[in-house]
Amino acid sequence: MPPMSAAHRDYWRSLEELAESPGFAEIVEREAPRFRGMLGPLDRRNFMRLMAAAMALSGLSDCGPEPDPRQLLPYIQQPPGIVPGHANFYATATTREGYATGVLVAHLMARPVKVEGNPAHPASLGAASAIMQASILELYDPRRTQTILGQGQIDSWEHLITALFERREQLLPHRGAGLRLLTGTVTSPSLSAQIKALQQQFPEMRWHQWEPINRDNEHIAIQRSFGRPLDKIYNLDNADIVFAVESDLISSVPGWLAYARQFAAHRRPDETGGKMSRIYAIESTPTLIGAKADHRLPLSPTELVATMRYLAAATGAGPSDWKQVQVREAAWLDAAAQDLLQHHGRVLVHAGREQPVEIHLIADAINGALGAFGTTIRTIEPVAASPVLMRQSLEELVSDMAAGRVDTLMMLDTNPVYNAPANLDFATALKRVPMSVSLSLYADETAVASTWMVPAAQEYEAWGDARAFDGTITIQQPQVRRLYEGHSPHELLAVLQGNTLPIDYELVRTFWQGEAHQRGIGDFERFWHESLRIGIVESSAAPPAAATPAAGVLTSLPARVELPQPGIPLIFRPDLLVWDGRYTNNPWLLEMPRPFTRLTWDNAALIAPATAKRLNLDTGDVLEITYRGRQVRAPVFVLPGQAPECITLPLGFGHQAGALGAGIGFDAYHLRISEEMWTAAGATLSRTGETFSLATTQGHDRVAGRDLIREGTLTEFRENPGFLQHHQPDESLYPPYKYPRYAWAMAIDLNSCIGCQACAVACQAENNVPVVGKDMVLQNREMHWLRIDRYYSGPAENPGIAFEPVPCMHCEDAPCEVVCPVHATVHDHEGINLMVYNRCVGTRFCSNNCPYKVRRFNFYGFAYQEDRPAESWNPQVTVRNRGVMEKCTYCIQRVRTAQIEADKQNILVPDGAVMTACQQSCPTQAIIFGNRNDPESAVVRRKSSPLDYVLLDELNTRPRTSYTALIRNPNPQIEGAKT
Amino acid sequence: MTVLDLPSEAPVPVVAPGVTMRSLSEEVGEPNLRPKTPLWWWISFGFSLSLLLVLVVAVIWTLDKSVGAWGINIPVAWGLAIVDYVWWIAAASGATFLSSMFYLTRSPWRTATHRIADAVAIACSASAGIMPIMHLGRQGLFYWLFPYSNVMGVWPQVRSPLWWDFISLLCYIIAATFYFYVGLLPDLATMRDLARDRRQQLFYGVLALGWRGSSQDWAYFRFVYLIMAAVMAPMVVVVHGVVGLDFAGGLTPGWHSTQFPPYFFFGALLFGFALVIMLTILIRAAYGLDDILTEYHLNAMAKVVLVASLLLAYAYLWEGFGAIYGSDIAERTMFLNRISGLYASCYWAKIALNVIIPQLLWFPGFRRSQLLLFAISLGIAVGSWLDPYVVIVQSLHRNYMPSEWGNYYPTFWDWALFAGSIGLALTLFLLMLRLLPIVSIAQLRRIVKSAGAP
Repeated sequence: MPPMSAAHRDYWRSLEELAESPGFAEIVEREAPRFRGMLGPLDRRNFMRLMAAAMALSGLSDCGPEPDPRQLLPYIQQPPGIVPGHANFYATATTREGYATGVLVAHLMARPVKVEGNPAHPASLGAASAIMQASILELYDPRRTQTILGQGQIDSWEHLITALFERREQLLPHRGAGLRLLTGTVTSPSLSAQIKALQQQFPEMRWHQWEPINRDNEHIAIQRSFGRPLDKIYNLDNADIVFAVESDLISSVPGWLAYARQFAAHRRPDETGGKMSRIYAIESTPTLIGAKADHRLPLSPTELVATMRYLAAATGAGPSDWKQVQVREAAWLDAAAQDLLQHHGRVLVHAGREQPVEIHLIADAINGALGAFGTTIRTIEPVAASPVLMRQSLEELVSDMAAGRVDTLMMLDTNPVYNAPANLDFATALKRVPMSVSLSLYADETAVASTWMVPAAQEYEAWGDARAFDGTITIQQPQVRRLYEGHSPHELLAVLQGNTLPIDYELVRTFWQGEAHQRGIGDFERFWHESLRIGIVESSAAPPAAATPAAGVLTSLPARVELPQPGIPLIFRPDLLVWDGRYTNNPWLLEMPRPFTRLTWDNAALIAPATAKRLNLDTGDVLEITYRGRQVRAPVFVLPGQAPECITLPLGFGHQAGALGAGIGFDAYHLRISEEMWTAAGATLSRTGETFSLATTQGHDRVAGRDLIREGTLTEFRENPGFLQHHQPDESLYPPYKYPRYAWAMAIDLNSCIGCQACAVACQAENNVPVVGKDMVLQNREMHWLRIDRYYSGPAENPGIAFEPVPCMHCEDAPCEVVCPVHATVHDHEGINLMVYNRCVGTRFCSNNCPYKVRRFNFYGFAYQEDRPAESWNPQVTVRNRGVMEKCTYCIQRVRTAQIEADKQNILVPDGAVMTACQQSCPTQAIIFGNRNDPESAVVRRKSSPLDYVLLDELNTRPRTSYTALIRNPNPQIEGAKT
Repeated sequence: MTVLDLPSEAPVPVVAPGVTMRSLSEEVGEPNLRPKTPLWWWISFGFSLSLLLVLVVAVIWTLDKSVGAWGINIPVAWGLAIVDYVWWIAAASGATFLSSMFYLTRSPWRTATHRIADAVAIACSASAGIMPIMHLGRQGLFYWLFPYSNVMGVWPQVRSPLWWDFISLLCYIIAATFYFYVGLLPDLATMRDLARDRRQQLFYGVLALGWRGSSQDWAYFRFVYLIMAAVMAPMVVVVHGVVGLDFAGGLTPGWHSTQFPPYFFFGALLFGFALVIMLTILIRAAYGLDDILTEYHLNAMAKVVLVASLLLAYAYLWEGFGAIYGSDIAERTMFLNRISGLYASCYWAKIALNVIIPQLLWFPGFRRSQLLLFAISLGIAVGSWLDPYVVIVQSLHRNYMPSEWGNYYPTFWDWALFAGSIGLALTLFLLMLRLLPIVSIAQLRRIVKSAGAP
């Protein structure tokens, strides 16, 4: 059955309602008595018959006793502000682990079609991550749960309210004993106020929080270092040296988009006059910051602790006898420590959330000793409404559940049955809870195991609010009327509070009326209007909390590093695109290649090449991993840069329930226990002899002698900025074509690109790029117009890693154009290489002739096979048919829209007025697009860099897309520094 | 004109001594007129018809499901359809070259074999013709390559080698059909005269277009035939040369080389002759035409095969030399992969089958043995298919962008289309074999006459 669009759904539903209404029964009785028997329970056939009758009779309902009071208005008069082809933007925010990132949602003809970052929001600065971009598809996902299920049966919101009310009546006398609330991290002021109010009504109620990818270790360390909970905000503008310990600083910490922007600004020596930060990275599994590092050491988890102890001693932050610990790369560390010491006050040591408490303590101690607090790190009051240790909170809940002390459990947008530590056995404990209500977007593991499954309203469907990493508040406004019967957490909690008709708008607005009053804001309407319009509540950032780490924390640590247990340790890590598993149902994110593995549609156990060789494993071999009696079968992926003798298991896959994601990949949570959330030692591995097909998008990992990645060191650059220029003169028999007005061009900075995939998803969303599925990816038929190539250089154990986004090059002398026999791909008068889909007959010669292989052939009319409603596609871009070639167009629809606006004012399109989708989403501003004829434009500035080069220069295709060569800033004291 | 038409002296008897004018007509014409069709024909026809059915299914399936049913992908966007196309057009070009070029050179062995070659050319170009159309992403729009006036005001892109290919293939199919038919006219008249059955008389009579054998008829015939032969010989060089230009014009390592037009033509020569040799041996046995299709013919054609094989060896050598000697790293890695990578077995197989094994034809014994000659020719047919397979698939799979390297594996439907196209060519050939004199009676009469037979 084809997916029903929202419009269709309403249509069907209203007829069903009509069929059930007493008025309809009367009409049937009067007009068509022989259809009488069909009223009542409907099977499909009868439903169809009745539909036909209803269609025929619907006109008669006006004659009936109960006319529909609601009016339908024809689209004769254009609603104000809605202009076909013109996008309206509405600000709101998306959240991940509770933290908000501001977005602007583009509406075309009153439908939301595209998510952009909100430039006014501190966590976005205009950028939008891959996950944020993909949220628009989540909104339209027809696989989301659509109806309330009570005990597995379709039920109604009214019944749920009744049931909750009954429960409330029973709970009230017991002061709420047995009532439990489980949420993720809550930063929402209104929701936390609701929870507090609820706690006042039910003093015995307890509120638990659980995030599987939590920051407990960091919070424990902060508690020990500072004596109270705090949040840390980083200022990379001041950081000359960053020492990253498997850091998620530019990949997933709250606010990473903003950090990535700061990070990249200090990695462009051609723009900063030869200045550049220096990054050291030590890590077990590659991270985005590790790939950008000037020095990177792959170390196993146990080595990391010893190494950090050594570093603490070497920088004077830890006991000097720690220098006695055995480390592999003492000289490397000494040089790094020297470097850190020389840059007192301008350093930042950052450890990823997965690192043990000890490493966080050491990092804070080094930061403290080297004067990082106040310059590169500032502390603020915690943004989370109620900072708790997640693991402890969940353990308490589960032990109460198992002991039968919980009779009502409300689970708001959390999936513990799937992602709680396996040893807690949440699913069994849940069976002992008489009434469990799960509010979730999908029929996930927890939702199906609960007595009530309530569809959650997607973030773009409900009112709410959330705080960013720095505390800035965004009031979230819905972008569209709820497509399904979703409900917001505010509504659900309001029912428990005694509200029988909860409406999210009123709940949030009433809260903010009170809040505005408290903040002394006189004109509430103005405040409300402005906050919604710009997407942030003015000056709502969390106040700074000056604090310095307590001295001597490190001395309390055990004198020796624990000896590693025998066996290969397992490392649990979130997946960068599906995170803890909550985005596994999103086809864009599933099919987007992972930054390092370039793997789509699956996760795999990541193993270093040397270890794989020792264990005689190869990519695709299926391993059976046994840990504490639990087993998981996982395909192996041999990953260069992975630390030897450890296995990384990406979390978030292997769902048993849900939608698209169910059954994809393996479930690493199955092996994860609460004592060892991130690293588990003592697992046994055995080969099963089976193999599994892993769908990767990159054919070969190295440049194979081609001049694709130009790379050098800062020293070389300072000596001779043009040292990587070896441009050959353009030769042509023909005079060059003149572009008098516009000559569109793009420049991509390899120094800035961190490989986060945001641009690729943005391109997919903007240009209606279809999803093809794993079997098609296996056949090299993925459709992404913009791909990110990841190349390795140097030894496989610790390679240099470079990311290179490759859109269409829009060559001046495009080889694709001359070979098309039907003029389907042509140059326009502004230098854009166009694809005329209607004209294409599909010879595919253009793809053969494209040296950059950026063309994609639509083998099966993939867009028509996708389960997504028609209104979710971008109406400004053609949805391509079967059998045509397609490719990057420099977002020509955006170029033309900007040109029409400029033409109306009789001016040239000003620089920056047109941004391609990839450029707009890029957190690091690696991509710049503009008019090459405008000497003041940013793209001309970028292209005049001495590091500018084009791919495959020798082919004389003269690409419009050029690259800024990759410069690293190695420490000259470290041997073999030159990468 | 008539002087030019005289066959030159053959050193050994071209036809067996016993052949007379009358026995010639009867020996060649009689099998077609016999009401009972031999069993071997029915068996072959049944086989080829079932293959043709495979083609029908494969075509319908591909039209319905799209070319995605094949193994093609990005980077290997061209697959078996183009390989098959090159293969079939090579067979057709080579066969037409045999018929036309060696008419101009007055080679006596051509007289008895050219009808087989012309029939091969027609049958193979039918199979060749469907391939580029099936290959399109939107097959129904193939006519957009045709320069016709339309409301869109868009014309084909004349810079594209694909367009050259489309036009030259179209011209070739039309011209080859005419060439075949013109050469057939006197024989159709002979058949008409031999026929006793009324239906046969009508059939051949209508086809003979009122040929009366007057000297005026003969004069026109010779004039037209000569002109057509003179047109066809260079045309097939161009046709297969343009197929080569599809690759030479492509900016892909392994393709972008000026040697492609002659290289492809050498391949066509080799394969066309090998195919005619195979069919000659089979027809000779089936019809018992030992005295007309003599060892002399096979010997002469085997020598051309040897020459073609050497020419092709030169092209292969040059291909390797250019890649190794040149400075282009992409070209070099592509070639090293070609001789040692995933498709290396195909590469070495084609070298063995097209170049090394045919060297046995230096020995007269191999040229005389029909079995060995047939086996070598069959090997060449396989090698000639592997040749474009390696050029197309292997080159594309090691392109300029290592990140986009990828492999190609033909699917069931790739193979079904290929098998089906053999069915189409074979069916057409068998029909021609059954209905038309497979040796040119009229032209052979001159040989018989010059040999002094009564």
